[in-house]
Amino acid sequence: MKKLVLAVLLCALTAGLVFGAGSQEINAAASSDSGDKVKLVFTSWRTEDIDLMNRINAEFTKANPNIEIEFQPVKNTEYDAQLKQSLAAGVGADIMFLRSYDGGYQIYETGSLTELNGKISTLKDFPSAASAAWSTADGTSYAIPAVGVVHGVYYRKSIFAKYGLTPPETWAEFMTVCKTLKDGGETVFAQGTKDNWMLYEVVYSGLGANFYGGEEARQALMNKEIRFTDPGFVKAMEKMKELQPYFPTRYEGIDYVTMQQIFGTGNAAMFIGGSWEIGIFEEMGGLDDVGYFAPPVEKAGDTLQYCFHVDAGVGMNKNTKHPEEAMMYMKWLASPEYAQLMMDELPGFFSYTPGSYSLNNSLAKEMESYVAGSVPTVRTLWEKLSAEAPSGYDLICQAIQQMYADKMTPAEACAYVDNGLSWYYK
Amino acid sequence: MKKIKKLGIRGGLYLIMVLYALSILVPLYVMFMTSFKSNAEIFNNPFGLPEAFSMDAYVNLFVISNYGKYFMNSIMVTVLSLGVAVTISALAAYAVSKYSFRYNKAIYLYFVIGMIVPIKLGTIDIMITMLRLRIYDSLWALIIVYIAMAIPLSVFVLYDYIRMVPDELSSAARIDGCSEPGIFSRVIVPLIKPGLAAAGIISFIPNWNEFWFPLVLIKTKENYTIPLATGQLFGQFDTKLNLVFAVLSLASVPVIIIYLLLSNYFVKGLSAGAVKG
Amino acid sequence: MLEAKKKHARFLFLFIFPAFIIYTMFMLVPILNSMRYSLYTGTGLLPDQFVGLDNYVRLFTEERYYSQFWNAFGNNIKFFLIVTLVQNIGGFFMAVMISRKFRGNKFMRKLSFLPTTLSVLVVGYIFKMILNPYYGVFDKFLELIGLESLIIPWLGDARSAIWVVALAVSWQFLGTSILFYTSGIDGISDSIMEAARIDGANVWQEIIHIILPSVLPIVAIVTILIFIGNFTQFDIIFAMTGTRGDPNYSTDLFGSLFYRTAFSNSDRGGWGTGMGATVATMMFLIVTVGVGTFLYFFSKKREALEK
Repeated sequence: MKKLVLAVLLCALTAGLVFGAGSQEINAAASSDSGDKVKLVFTSWRTEDIDLMNRINAEFTKANPNIEIEFQPVKNTEYDAQLKQSLAAGVGADIMFLRSYDGGYQIYETGSLTELNGKISTLKDFPSAASAAWSTADGTSYAIPAVGVVHGVYYRKSIFAKYGLTPPETWAEFMTVCKTLKDGGETVFAQGTKDNWMLYEVVYSGLGANFYGGEEARQALMNKEIRFTDPGFVKAMEKMKELQPYFPTRYEGIDYVTMQQIFGTGNAAMFIGGSWEIGIFEEMGGLDDVGYFAPPVEKAGDTLQYCFHVDAGVGMNKNTKHPEEAMMYMKWLASPEYAQLMMDELPGFFSYTPGSYSLNNSLAKEMESYVAGSVPTVRTLWEKLSAEAPSGYDLICQAIQQMYADKMTPAEACAYVDNGLSWYYK
Repeated sequence: MKKIKKLGIRGGLYLIMVLYALSILVPLYVMFMTSFKSNAEIFNNPFGLPEAFSMDAYVNLFVISNYGKYFMNSIMVTVLSLGVAVTISALAAYAVSKYSFRYNKAIYLYFVIGMIVPIKLGTIDIMITMLRLRIYDSLWALIIVYIAMAIPLSVFVLYDYIRMVPDELSSAARIDGCSEPGIFSRVIVPLIKPGLAAAGIISFIPNWNEFWFPLVLIKTKENYTIPLATGQLFGQFDTKLNLVFAVLSLASVPVIIIYLLLSNYFVKGLSAGAVKG
Repeated sequence: MLEAKKKHARFLFLFIFPAFIIYTMFMLVPILNSMRYSLYTGTGLLPDQFVGLDNYVRLFTEERYYSQFWNAFGNNIKFFLIVTLVQNIGGFFMAVMISRKFRGNKFMRKLSFLPTTLSVLVVGYIFKMILNPYYGVFDKFLELIGLESLIIPWLGDARSAIWVVALAVSWQFLGTSILFYTSGIDGISDSIMEAARIDGANVWQEIIHIILPSVLPIVAIVTILIFIGNFTQFDIIFAMTGTRGDPNYSTDLFGSLFYRTAFSNSDRGGWGTGMGATVATMMFLIVTVGVGTFLYFFSKKREALEK
């Protein structure tokens, strides 16, 4: 009997030893069988890109056989909290995507990012507007500006052709297109309002910029020369409200992924989206039928205020176990070689790395073609105004969602944001 | 007349039972069936059986997404934490239930009060402690927390089982010259085996499904448990609904099987607690 | 029970110590320490600047903090009321029915507890999918039976969202109350029931005079368990409406508020670890006061019944 009891009691302990040893063995095997091989973990909020990033990284490993990159994204809405926790705790990925301005700066403030000045020599050649999005006020860089994205409108060529429509240039034309489609019984937009980040990041920042005055107004807002209740911002909000009748039924319950599904399967004529979605639509049904146009301007002849958002910088963990290898990889990420690879594999991701590149995706080309005649800007409240809680980010997301739920008028939505930002004016 | 009324009550009873059973079975049916369907079929044929049972989604999860590893992690965390928790709880429960000393009642109460302590609220400090112990972001962090979480209920359940063992048996063993720890291992343990099983099984479900602590304590993908993988990797498959439902099915199948096999233990263990309360 | 003697001290200590130390170190000490952190502030993970009760003052005087705190409090009460009502009343009547003899009652007992074994996360995701306005099965079902006029964007509407998440939780845990109540009803001796029936008591009288009094202590347990679970509920919100409790914080509960404020970046709703600890401490106080109130209330009720 005693044996049996001992067996029961020791079962747990032995199980622990076996499992524990087992897992250690696995770890040991991973590092030993590869000899000097080093594995770097790269994290981002781009869960859609695993296969593509693996292909890109395979190129790096080809050139540097002793370094392997493992791409481990976390989903978009959870990414920031997860990154903050792991870096503050001194663990986490070796290389990571950082959001521009306030989001990334907060991570930098935890003291867990490698400062890049002088370490990556080509960094100074990057466009200063992009570098500024990942540097401190005194010019310390903590990330390579890696990805820029644009916001605009995707459309289904076949549906447009059915009604003899062409991509609109002005808002009035845009509204006519919407009305024609709706009268024809089409689902005009695939847009839903359940995931409110879309409403701010893509809809308001993308389509609203032409009405609030684009980059100039954004700067003035940051410099406290104007407030968010000023006519420009309210007008932009009113214009966004004009889209509401063209949203699908029960749009309040439609989340981001469902929107992609609706448009990707050809069940809506238009989708207000970001350039990063090219790949998703390609996978869902091909791009032959998908067209793109830039946010319509107010009246013919106006300069396009184009939201060319500084989306992702790449930072390096100060506590990485492989600083040398990580730095080698970082340098590669800042190289023209990577830039071309990324733009080939991930159409709609635009590199900031100086150099001349070819875009082989026609949609990406289309998106880029608008840049020339436009004033680039970034998302409305992304810089400085989202540094503290309640952040401009949170406020405007909620406000637009409320507006589309008919709980706030456009003016009230702006007042809600302005009121919440009172910490900025203290 | 009375018969008709009785028949009506019967009928109503069956109707309610059937509706209730459907409300449980239909969501589960939808979950399992959808995981075998193609994307087009999900939209065109939401209720029916799949045309062809496609295992693509599952192959995808295990081959591409490392699901096997997450399963092993979950099993290791669950088995180890329950094994240790039940063992040390049995020791403590024996000491406080069979010996009277100054604080035995107080210690018992101290343990049992843990059943209503919301441990989530100590997360910030648990995180910091795990960092100091250098086991943050490892399965050991989870194991320790789960041991602590399982102790109150295990002590509570085992206390009663041990107390029901007649004192005469231990006295007899004592007269035979058995040591006190010997009495525990030779006399008590064989008699409370159902109790040990009940204690382990009751804590199994919350343990296996626990999502909060992996979310804050585990950052490396290799160390994901099934619930964390379910929560965090969702974005990855969002546009492929069959994969999404396969993820959910995989997270549920083990608990459902274990429950169906051992449901009597659940019912006995839990309802005993309720009645005594 | 044996009178412990001096010679027993060492082994008793060894038996109690492992459970005692792990339980203390990883359950009780963390809560006390978290309370301590609520007196500190700082940008890092570990708040290091002592500020006394400043965090509490800020929590209750600055609109940006108290508006979210009281909002979560209100939502949590609503959530708790829905879940308790469904689980207590629904669970009670289901238990009364299930404990009767009919064909399939064993099966029903087993089945009713099945959802409880699933992870809350899984349940949340299943319901989110089923309620999706585009491909969700529920709307398609309503259309099928001609009730499409009732369809609303279930999770997108601030009025319905909290109901939906609360009902999802109730659906999952109804089995627990049924299990508890049936075990209470099973415990009533047959002779009492028999006697009542001979006296001509109808079903209602039976329920009110016999069953209800004998399961009242179980009502107390169920309610307290629901209360603690609901005031720290996080998983369902994470799965169904995200950590910000969309839409417009209408499903933001204390659990999601705590996660967001303690662990998020401040551009995504984070308040820093110190404020997070303050929120946790307030939650602890609320849970403790709540449980205490319930215990008091139910023991009073019990006394009244026993008289």
